[in-house]
Amino acid sequence: MKIGVLMKQVPDTETKIRIKDDASGIVVDGIKWVMNPYDEYAVEEALRIKEKKAGSTVTIISMGPKRSVETIRTGLAMGADSGILIDDPALEGADCYATAKALAKVMEPENFDLILCGKQAIDDDSAQVPQMVAEFLGMPQAMVIDKLVVSDDGKKATCYRRIEGGAKEVLEVDLPAIVAAEKGLNEPRYASLPGIMKAKSKPFKEINLGALGLKAEEVGAKGAKLKVKKYFLPAEKAPGKIIPGEPEDAARALVKMLREEAKVV
Amino acid sequence: MGNLLVNTRDQRFVLFEQVGIDKLFKIPKYSKFNLELVDMFLKEAEKFAVEVIAPTFKKSDHEDPAYFKDGKAHAPACFHPVYKKFVEGGWICPPAPEEAGGQDMPMSVFTACSELFGAANYSFFMYPGLNLGAAGLIGTFGTPEQIKKYALKMFAGEWAGTMCLTEPGAGSDVGALRTTAKRLPDGRFSITGTKCFISAGDHDLTKQIVHPVLARIEGDPAGTKGISIFIVPKYRVNEDGSLGESNDITTVNLEHKMGINGSATATLNFGENGKCIGELLGKEREGIKIMFKMMNEARLSTGMQGLDSASASYEHSVQYAKDRVQYRKIEDMPNQAAPGVAIINHPDIRRSLLWMKAHVEGMRALNYYIGYLIDLEPFVEDHEEKEKLEDTIGLLTPISKAYCSDKSVDICSLGMDIHGGYGYCQEYPMEQLLRDAKIATIYEGTNYIQSLDLVGRKLGRKGGMAVMGLMGQITETTEKAKGVEELKAGAEQMEAALQAVNDLVMQLGSWGMSGEFVLPVLNARSVLMILGDMIIGWQLIQAALIAQEKLQALLKKAGAEGSPDKVKALAGENDEVAFYLGKVASAQYFTVNILPTLKGRCEAIKLGDRTPVSMPDACFESR
Ligand SMILES: Cc1cc2nc3c(=O)[nH]c(=O)nc-3n(C[C@H](O)[C@H](O)[C@H](O)COP(=O)(O)OP(=O)(O)OC[C@H]3O[C@@H](n4cnc5c(N)ncnc54)[C@H](O)[C@@H]3O)c2cc1C
Ligand SMILES: Cc1cc2nc3c(=O)[nH]c(=O)nc-3n(C[C@H](O)[C@H](O)[C@H](O)COP(=O)(O)OP(=O)(O)OC[C@H]3O[C@@H](n4cnc5c(N)ncnc54)[C@H](O)[C@@H]3O)c2cc1C
Repeated sequence: MKIGVLMKQVPDTETKIRIKDDASGIVVDGIKWVMNPYDEYAVEEALRIKEKKAGSTVTIISMGPKRSVETIRTGLAMGADSGILIDDPALEGADCYATAKALAKVMEPENFDLILCGKQAIDDDSAQVPQMVAEFLGMPQAMVIDKLVVSDDGKKATCYRRIEGGAKEVLEVDLPAIVAAEKGLNEPRYASLPGIMKAKSKPFKEINLGALGLKAEEVGAKGAKLKVKKYFLPAEKAPGKIIPGEPEDAARALVKMLREEAKVV
Repeated sequence: MGNLLVNTRDQRFVLFEQVGIDKLFKIPKYSKFNLELVDMFLKEAEKFAVEVIAPTFKKSDHEDPAYFKDGKAHAPACFHPVYKKFVEGGWICPPAPEEAGGQDMPMSVFTACSELFGAANYSFFMYPGLNLGAAGLIGTFGTPEQIKKYALKMFAGEWAGTMCLTEPGAGSDVGALRTTAKRLPDGRFSITGTKCFISAGDHDLTKQIVHPVLARIEGDPAGTKGISIFIVPKYRVNEDGSLGESNDITTVNLEHKMGINGSATATLNFGENGKCIGELLGKEREGIKIMFKMMNEARLSTGMQGLDSASASYEHSVQYAKDRVQYRKIEDMPNQAAPGVAIINHPDIRRSLLWMKAHVEGMRALNYYIGYLIDLEPFVEDHEEKEKLEDTIGLLTPISKAYCSDKSVDICSLGMDIHGGYGYCQEYPMEQLLRDAKIATIYEGTNYIQSLDLVGRKLGRKGGMAVMGLMGQITETTEKAKGVEELKAGAEQMEAALQAVNDLVMQLGSWGMSGEFVLPVLNARSVLMILGDMIIGWQLIQAALIAQEKLQALLKKAGAEGSPDKVKALAGENDEVAFYLGKVASAQYFTVNILPTLKGRCEAIKLGDRTPVSMPDACFESR
């Protein structure tokens, strides 16, 4: 099977986010970058399928600035076979739509049997790119999946996802399809040292806009349907209140507060 | 907030900016590495340490320690999956040669990775650490058959290794050992004796354990000269490499210890039934020489252990001091209504933290630097240069072991003080860090034995060439620092310290020449700590020179030069500015607050007081 994995480099969850003075974005200096955690599940799942199906290959595709190479390398060190980075100044300021468009374009000629990705990137938390890529490529999609079974003949995939009330929804899709990973799909492996050494010499290509065959108007800020007006940090929450006393008295005090202070009951 | 274990920015500073490991990549053996790759190693090591090893820290101390039951020794249950992942990740033997399953990773780089593992849980890291040492020993001195039979399986993480020196009657004095080796007709030896305190001596992480054992062949002379070293496996190994019957090694017990409770410390009886068979490793009566290879590495690891705990203690303390609110600002003390502040605002807490920070950074720089010298040494062609390098490594090794482990206990203790009463209790890791750190002053040769090695052997070697060479280097760095406004005051203190240490070394030499051995031997511990402070000061000044230059460039770029307020504000938002500023501060604090004590300490030794030895024994005792 030929498997593609969409991967995004994001700030480490521990990063202290700072907003630029002009509110046009976040300050990226000094940020520690990591693989989007949901994409880690996607990479791991791709590798597990590859290990089961002889002759399979895994390609990691990322759109982002030059530094994203590092994170693609991490995927290669985990065991993926090749990497593609789409990097062009014209891509800056892309929204989900413009991003999906560029990603779809680069994947079109690859003819993947299966495309895996994370259900969302933890930086913007949009959770829209996978669906849009599926639309652009005209593929079935299965989102927020925590169990994936590919049929022996590689023609179908059964995808499981949790839904309200603790129930599971089971989807069967024809391949090629795009499947977005939810936490719990697997436990991602760590890149091994021999893996890191080998990653150095694995095929890796960088693609710019020209090579992609897209015009500057179609991508990046120009091609975006959504404009970000400004970035700001959420207001600091007031500290919580602890109501002391016997449970009965405390409950009474709580109801009083809900009624009089919060005015919600 | 960092990872609460190790400042990974400082790791990169030391490797990339201070030591300059890119110089190694010109050597063919290391040409496959580059800085990007090293950066990736460090990232993966950090991830592994934080996510996989650190969760075992507390568990393996308390609810799930190493234990002995029904004659069998077990590693903590929580270590089993971690060990498996460690092996899968290829972390079991990165410095081993590629053909043995390793990566030829430079020691300097592995040392940095190991800091993360050790800070996460040193008692876990001891198992792979000892295995790597023992496998390296067989890899270096074994026959091709022995390498194939033992070392390769150890490098692969399938089997584990130990080092067996200590016996009930032979601790510091290894030469007093009584384990014997009797020749068998087939050239192998029958081993009989008891070894105690053997780390990872018995456990269930691997199917097989291979012990390098020091013993005396029947008829060989007493003392260290008569000692040989043997490969003694827990299970005999069949022709085809599979495991055979038990090799008659009995685990008597595991020790109940103050710390490193995850590490199985075993007493082993070899040959209770006369059926324990060992193979000679290397030549007969060269056991000590051979074991010293492993011991030198192990001493460096023990110095690193000191750094590991100290680093974790520091990182936790900074975090705690930022959170814990107690008292008003010193300026607001009389005003009871003023709000309380986090204790990091109090001068004494800041002093304590900077004291810890400076030592941790200096120790890190020293240990990585030794790693770098070890990487370089095999590739130096010039005979004289090579010897110089070997002597420098020889000089720095006991200093690293004893200084870093002693300071680690002080640092962990201070970290506990910063945590107040909570530091003394088990909710916080401070008390365990302190308990775990303490062993490092004792094993691998007690810190006194290290000091004796320094004063008795290393200092005087070739007329003191190594120490003089080192002081020459320190003088050069100091000269440079004198020209930098921010470092001038500290550099002057270093100059005075160098003078004092120089006089002390001369005095020790002349005592030695006139047969006055008691005084150098009596003061060995102080001498080692004096040299340690001098070397740490040197490493910090060296770092600060680099940092100051980079800081200037950053300040210039931001237009903040010469304005303390702007610099302060910039440090709040620019991590690089804060980092470099902190490096300069470490050097400033250490050189001005600690180096001035060297003169007095040197003077004290030179006074030649012998009260401890001249006072009659009876005066020590309560009667
Ligand atoms: C947890 C743990 C793990 C260990 N792991 C290993 C291991 O894996 N393999 C192994 O072989 N050993 C191991 N050891 C043993 C360790 O190396 C010894 O405990 C150490 O060398 C000291 O020996 P000893 O305990 O017999 O103390 P002693 O030698 O009895 O020393 C007692 C004191 O006397 C001092 N002393 C001794 N001789 C002199 C002298 N000539 N002048 C001045 N002072 C002197 C010492 O410095 C020390 O302070 C371990 C020990 C422990 C506690
Ligand atoms: C085993 C044990 C038994 C105890 N028994 C008793 C008992 O019987 N009765 C009782 O009342 N209490 C008892 N205590 C509490 C003990 O006295 C406190 O832990 C101690 O006073 C420190 O307070 P703290 O732990 O809140 O630390 P903190 O006050 O939070 O101190 C944390 C650190 O900040 C430093 N610090 C705080 N303020 C300043 C300042 N203004 N300037 C500089 N540094 C500052 C401290 O020196 C310390 O290093 C006990 C504690 C323990 C652990």
